[in-house]
Amino acid sequence: MDTTFALEMEGITKTFPGVKALDEVTLRVKPGTVHALMGENGAGKSTLMKCLFGIYQEDRGIIKLKGKEHRFKDSHDALNQGVSMIHQELSNVPERSVAENLYLGREPLNKIGLIDHKKMNDETRSLLENLEINVKPEVRIGSLSISMQQTCEIAKAVSYNASVVVMDEPTSSLTDNEVQHLFKIINRLREQNVAVIYISHKMEEIFTIADEVSVMRDGQMIGTYDVTEMTNEKLISLMVGRDATLRFPEFKSKVGEVLLKVENLSSPNPRSFQDVSFEVHRGEILGIGGLVGAQRTELMEAIFGVRAIREGKIYVDGDEILNMTPRKAIEHGIGMITEDRRGSGIFPLMDISNNTSIASLKEYLNKLHLLKHKEMKEESVRYNKALRTKTPTMETLIQNLSGGNQQKVIISRWLMTLPDVLIMDEPTRGIDVGAKYEIYQIMGQLVEQGKAIIMVSSEMPELIGMSHRVMVLCSGKCTGVLDKSECTQENIMRLATKFM
Amino acid sequence: MEMKKLLKDSKKVATQYTTWVTFVGLLLLLSILTNGQALRWGSIRNLLIAESVRSFAALGVGMIIITKGIDLSIGYVVCLTASVAASFAQNPDYSSAVYAGQSFPLIIPIVAAVAAGGLFGLFNGYLIAYGKLPPFIATLGSMSIAKGLQLIYTKAAVVGSLNQNFKNISQGSVGPVPNLIIYVAIAAFIVWILLKHTRQGTHFYAIGGNAQAARVSGINVERDLMMVYFYAGLLYGTAGTLLASRLGLANSLTANGMELDAIAAVTVGGVSQNGGVGKVSGMMVGVFTMGLINYGMSFLGVDSYYQQLVKGFIIIIAVYFDMKKYARRA
Repeated sequence: MDTTFALEMEGITKTFPGVKALDEVTLRVKPGTVHALMGENGAGKSTLMKCLFGIYQEDRGIIKLKGKEHRFKDSHDALNQGVSMIHQELSNVPERSVAENLYLGREPLNKIGLIDHKKMNDETRSLLENLEINVKPEVRIGSLSISMQQTCEIAKAVSYNASVVVMDEPTSSLTDNEVQHLFKIINRLREQNVAVIYISHKMEEIFTIADEVSVMRDGQMIGTYDVTEMTNEKLISLMVGRDATLRFPEFKSKVGEVLLKVENLSSPNPRSFQDVSFEVHRGEILGIGGLVGAQRTELMEAIFGVRAIREGKIYVDGDEILNMTPRKAIEHGIGMITEDRRGSGIFPLMDISNNTSIASLKEYLNKLHLLKHKEMKEESVRYNKALRTKTPTMETLIQNLSGGNQQKVIISRWLMTLPDVLIMDEPTRGIDVGAKYEIYQIMGQLVEQGKAIIMVSSEMPELIGMSHRVMVLCSGKCTGVLDKSECTQENIMRLATKFM
Repeated sequence: MEMKKLLKDSKKVATQYTTWVTFVGLLLLLSILTNGQALRWGSIRNLLIAESVRSFAALGVGMIIITKGIDLSIGYVVCLTASVAASFAQNPDYSSAVYAGQSFPLIIPIVAAVAAGGLFGLFNGYLIAYGKLPPFIATLGSMSIAKGLQLIYTKAAVVGSLNQNFKNISQGSVGPVPNLIIYVAIAAFIVWILLKHTRQGTHFYAIGGNAQAARVSGINVERDLMMVYFYAGLLYGTAGTLLASRLGLANSLTANGMELDAIAAVTVGGVSQNGGVGKVSGMMVGVFTMGLINYGMSFLGVDSYYQQLVKGFIIIIAVYFDMKKYARRA
């Protein structure tokens, strides 16, 4: 085998305001191997790959391809140098054809500088045939199933003739058969001496396909190991690293009567959640686990009235609520902190004070139905102080705060509505370790006050460390509810991959 | 060191209060160029009167732009409402009156015009909020509909010979202050209360800033969106009434192009095209800034062709700085 590495990343350091995302990380990948990159969410895998792909610029460190040093200014540059990447989220143009998507930004031109559609379609066809992907180049990519679109992205990554291909959770939306097909493609790449970096949380996949595995934790590289010398347990302990319980505050809450009850809730979309039932009690944190695509967010949004339901019942405090809307949900004491803080959380150009009070304006009207600005502000200050939001002034625009502080403002917003049940969808996503712990403390205090929390989380330790019970979804169906004593990574994973 | 800080502070003030700085700067420039001639009360008064009708349109579209919408129908809706108002205020002995031989109490033209404006607002608002049409397209359609209705209603004729009572609505004054200026002040005050001191006004900013977050926060996005177009429609109806009263007639050319003037004015006044940002004070200053530019150039004898050119550049520069100011961090 060739002795030079296909890729060497040495001493990569990357700091974001307030967070050291990567700390002297070194990764070496041999050509013709599949190299698994593992670690909890937030360990720095994605940041490392974004540095490799030129999306982020590392502060320090060297990237070498086949022994030659490179510095990528952007992803276009990386692609030209033979590094391609399949992102976790689809990044295609749904209204254009498969071929147009594959050749986006590098369309073949004819003599007079117009796009040569025939050549583009022919090349796409032979590429797809070569990979045994059964799709016509002319079809609109948006009309394909999500998993087929994902397969096309894989074909696109391959089509750059890259020497390094990064796959970031490529199987999160694939079925079992499709995963087998993907593995075939990966094996073919391996034969062609391509280095594949494979990011996945699914242990079985790692053991099936990978040759080597590197484990990251808290922005540091723990080590690189031969997969043959690894076991499931060993890998998990490397990833988690330390005693999982120490990272979560102690809280003593009394679990009381049922506050929210959901019966046989089904989405009008057959691929989304179906026939889900559960209860949350006063003083309880119910964790919702599952993989990407398990429809957890969709279920939560339906309960909060953002999404439609086909059938099923929602009871708050024993009363059935029909035609749920966010307004009704708030009136009945439900609050929801959404997963997508930028997209559906913050009002970027409003100040902290207004961002906090926006969901409770009704409570601050005088006799003339005009807003009581002074009281609104005082209350906003009170909540943000209690949550220790760090901001220069209350008039600072929320877009100028760090992610963790934005999240605290949004938690303040919902606490101000005095909810009984708080739905928190990925409450600590994109937040540094210190702020995370503070948010866990807030959650503990809330349940100690007798409120109920439903927490959707993709971070295993968070689910296990914070929840009284964990309900696991897989492909939109509830595959089980685990009590505190049964909450282990393995049990959750087993339920989360039940239909895969 | 002191100097540096002063410079930095003044720079900060300048970016924060671009609108005011521009306005005061123009005022100073004009007074220097004309040795103070252009800024006598008489001239200022004329400027205020000339811009008053546009102020109503600007207040309406200003609110709409705060919700991240746009309204292209303003010009023809004002034209239609002016024609409606005029048709109910013609002298009964005028032989080619729309309702020849009939006379109506003074309240009728006002109510009819404001109602017509409100109906158009509801129509636009319904299409945009519930029909999910892009505001640009919905109001482009209703612009043509308004024009068509105006032509049908007036049979493309001038609606003239208006009675004196109706003309007095806009042509009178209270002491030295013309009626029109009082109306503008009242309208601006009401819109200020709405935007600054009511739930719905706060919701407008929220919807323009992040509609999805607004929905999750329990805001009835559809209803509020429909209402903003409705309120704007009422303001256009008022503008139409006052315009007919001031001109003493209405025809198919009345208020043509007012949408562009109004949109330009509020943009210069700091209402962001990205939604979620804007103040009544800014809208008003924007209107008078644009008015000042027109008036100043006329006063200095600049050819009207060039005025058009200068106006175009000012709009582009204003939006350019607006986009830079609120550009999302990558």
